[in-house]
Amino acid sequence: MAHHHSESDDEDYSYDDDSESEQEEEEEEEPRSSRKKRGRSNPDHSVGSARGKKRKPSGSIFIEDDVIVDDDEVEDEDDVEDGFIEHGEADLGDEDVVGRRHRPFHEPAAFRSRVGAEEYLDFMQEKYSNPRAEYDDEDDYEDGEPTHVDQQALLPSVRDPKLWMVKCAIGREREVAVCLMQKAVDRGSDFKIRSVIALDHLQNFIYIEADMEAHVKEAIKGMRNIFANHKILLVPIREMADVLSVKSKTVELARDTWVRMKLGIYKGDLAQVVDVDDVRRRVTVKLIPRIDLQLLADKQEGSVIVKKKSFVPPPRFMNVDEARELHIRVERRRDRMTGDYFENIGGLLFKDGFLYKKVSTKSISTQNVTPTFDELERFKKSNENGEIDFVDMSTLFANRKKGHFMKGDEVIVVKGDLKNMKGWVEKVDEENVLIRSEMKGLNNPLAVNERELCKYFEPGNHVKVVSGTHKEATGMVVKVDQHVLFILTDTTKQHIRVFADHVVKSAEVTNGVTKMGEYELHDLVLLSNLSFGVIIKLDSEAIQVLKGIPGRTELAIVKHGEIKYKIDKRINVKDRNKNVITVKDVVRVTEGPSKGKQGPVMHIYKGVLFLHDRHNVEHAGFVCVKCSSCVLSGGSYSGADRIVDSFSRLGNSKSPAPVPPSPRRFQRADSGYNSGAGGRHWSGRGGGRGGHDLLVGAYVKVRLGPFKGYRGRIVEVKEKTVRLEHEAKIVTGKLNLPLHTHLVAAC
Amino acid sequence: MFFHIVLERNMQLHPRFFGRNLRENLVSKLMKDVEGTCSGRHGFVVAITGIESVGKGLIRDGTAFVTFPVKYQCVVFRPFKGEILEAVVTLVNKMGFFAEAGPVQIFVSKHLIPDDMEFQAGDMPNYTTSDGSVKIQKECEVRLKIIGTRVDATEIFCVGTIKDDFLGVINDPAAAA
Repeated sequence: MAHHHSESDDEDYSYDDDSESEQEEEEEEEPRSSRKKRGRSNPDHSVGSARGKKRKPSGSIFIEDDVIVDDDEVEDEDDVEDGFIEHGEADLGDEDVVGRRHRPFHEPAAFRSRVGAEEYLDFMQEKYSNPRAEYDDEDDYEDGEPTHVDQQALLPSVRDPKLWMVKCAIGREREVAVCLMQKAVDRGSDFKIRSVIALDHLQNFIYIEADMEAHVKEAIKGMRNIFANHKILLVPIREMADVLSVKSKTVELARDTWVRMKLGIYKGDLAQVVDVDDVRRRVTVKLIPRIDLQLLADKQEGSVIVKKKSFVPPPRFMNVDEARELHIRVERRRDRMTGDYFENIGGLLFKDGFLYKKVSTKSISTQNVTPTFDELERFKKSNENGEIDFVDMSTLFANRKKGHFMKGDEVIVVKGDLKNMKGWVEKVDEENVLIRSEMKGLNNPLAVNERELCKYFEPGNHVKVVSGTHKEATGMVVKVDQHVLFILTDTTKQHIRVFADHVVKSAEVTNGVTKMGEYELHDLVLLSNLSFGVIIKLDSEAIQVLKGIPGRTELAIVKHGEIKYKIDKRINVKDRNKNVITVKDVVRVTEGPSKGKQGPVMHIYKGVLFLHDRHNVEHAGFVCVKCSSCVLSGGSYSGADRIVDSFSRLGNSKSPAPVPPSPRRFQRADSGYNSGAGGRHWSGRGGGRGGHDLLVGAYVKVRLGPFKGYRGRIVEVKEKTVRLEHEAKIVTGKLNLPLHTHLVAAC
Repeated sequence: MFFHIVLERNMQLHPRFFGRNLRENLVSKLMKDVEGTCSGRHGFVVAITGIESVGKGLIRDGTAFVTFPVKYQCVVFRPFKGEILEAVVTLVNKMGFFAEAGPVQIFVSKHLIPDDMEFQAGDMPNYTTSDGSVKIQKECEVRLKIIGTRVDATEIFCVGTIKDDFLGVINDPAAAA
């Protein structure tokens, strides 16, 4: 048998000798051409066979170097071949291992027939019994993965085909690459270039891999989209690897994903992807149209010269009947691709009120697109289909950033067999979340896919919003509706709708966003149109201001740019009974629509008071009144409003009646007594003795002179001098300075 | 719910109040300080019923104030989640209505009002059923259930519902009149 075998072997041998070369060539070409095609093209005889003849039918038959031939190895074959044989097995094994990872065994059948059964068996044994198997993942790093050194060995050298950079028409790179590929298939042997690369991020150029520039020139002859007269640039060897290194993540655009437009009149608008055309890098999106029908009608008639649009029309669904009424030509067309009917108005396609537009991939942004509720609703509105609700939600959740479950969160299963089961999160893996439920009979913990879970809240939970438009709002959950929560905010007592994913349980109570840029909540600001008001609500988008028009409650919603500056003046006004009112005094409104309201004054400006009524739920409790329609209601609010004994009342009253100095002392002591641990809130204003009650009690900072930089409260005012009570010491410093120039009111 | 508990507080007193009436001064100060306040833990202090004990006063270093630890009994009111209360409606708007049960204010959101009640704006905004049989307006008495409380340092705010059985308007003085 063995004999027979050997004979057959010999036969095979000799047979293989000839065929081997052919096989070899094929296989040599194979790796290269596999990049272009897996073809059966005739290899380059002259080159291949020359090499082939040199091949010695020695032990190399057992070695797979045909198949795993890499570019560099092929070139140095003559030398390396002998090297291969001389080296010990270990090294070979190494090479094999590496090679196999790079180039999987292409033609087992051919190899088998070539080698013969016994040799094949031996070879197989060798391959798979190798203890240093590549399939073992627990190996040391050096065996398990191609090492850096191995990678380096595969880098191009001088003998490899070079990379040439060719200029082509912009936007047509992929097209050109595909064309060249087709040409290679058609031409076959004539085609001497090895490969063509078209990169997404590099416009105007393609790379061609070839040995000589002449090959490249011949290949591109006749290609319309390539600029042949431009110089063909050679890529230096060092940079060749960089050409193919991918840095950015390619975003996959699928149907029904939500995107936002980046350019044009629809900039910033939400859109839904309807169709993707990869070759031309264009997508068809569905938008809510912003069409000015009147302008269209005029344009069609030709009466109006189209001038550059100075304003963007608001988004509105397209009503075809309306368009017809205005005598705009509406064509009903059938789209070849989808088979749907479209209305064509002025070159734009409409369906169901939506505008379907073909745009390039560059002009849409796919990252971080979180549609707001309003936008989603508008999209759904025209469809009137209840099912779409869920579909939209699920597409939304596909885009959502992962990993927002934390240990201890209460969750509920929304999809699958375990739907409606509640549990607590124990551990979060990449895709699976382990939850523990209270149900008996289930093995805890359960692994559930992240997509099937949703955070669970019950009405009455106190929560905080951590992302989205209502970021930083805290409130109480009032109603739960699948993924959507209705929350009553703490500050403004309003309902907001948020996704359950954006919310965490928290005991924290914040004022929402209190500071946006330079403006804080409850600041008095001047608006661009010279009206003023108090900020009652700060949002990431806009600021709500209660205008300073006494008698009417007027709200204005402004953007940051419209606010000129913060008003911060210390002004005193007189109330109805000629009592002096300053900030922090409690007043009561006696006439007008806000009659009966009472509260401390927060701001005074131009004779208008802003007081804060705690019981008023509208406008954050702020009420705007004229100073003449309110009375001082005793007791300053600055920390001592509860204690109403005689001393403090005396001290705090604003009546300009002369008060002997001793109560002042008492009163100062009193305020210390009253505020207790409250610190140094000197509620006393020292009474209004002498003129200039404007300044008395004002907290100022000295600008010039020996006391420059000192801060303190003004205690007494004479004609030219002011007595300042300095913070650090209770020593009053006499300042012989003209008042207005040297004191700067500080807050 | 109302509770009668013993609380302790450190009262600071100025020497000017020393003398014969020290204890009375202390008590009156305590009352002024504490009655009407609200703490997160105990709720609203409604009234002080009696003083249990007054400890020895300690003079504070640096100032002349003296600190007395006072133990006193008082009635407190603290709302709990799940509690059922009667309250008086104070304000009605399209988001819901506000009701007051003693010192605590409760907000009942529109979503927690039975669906058949619609908001009607006007001179006296109210919520009415479709057949007009039940009306919630200012000065109505309602029975509601507290579903959540939020406790600030100095205030307690509650959210309630009338969407369950046996909840809703008890008495409507305006309608009766």
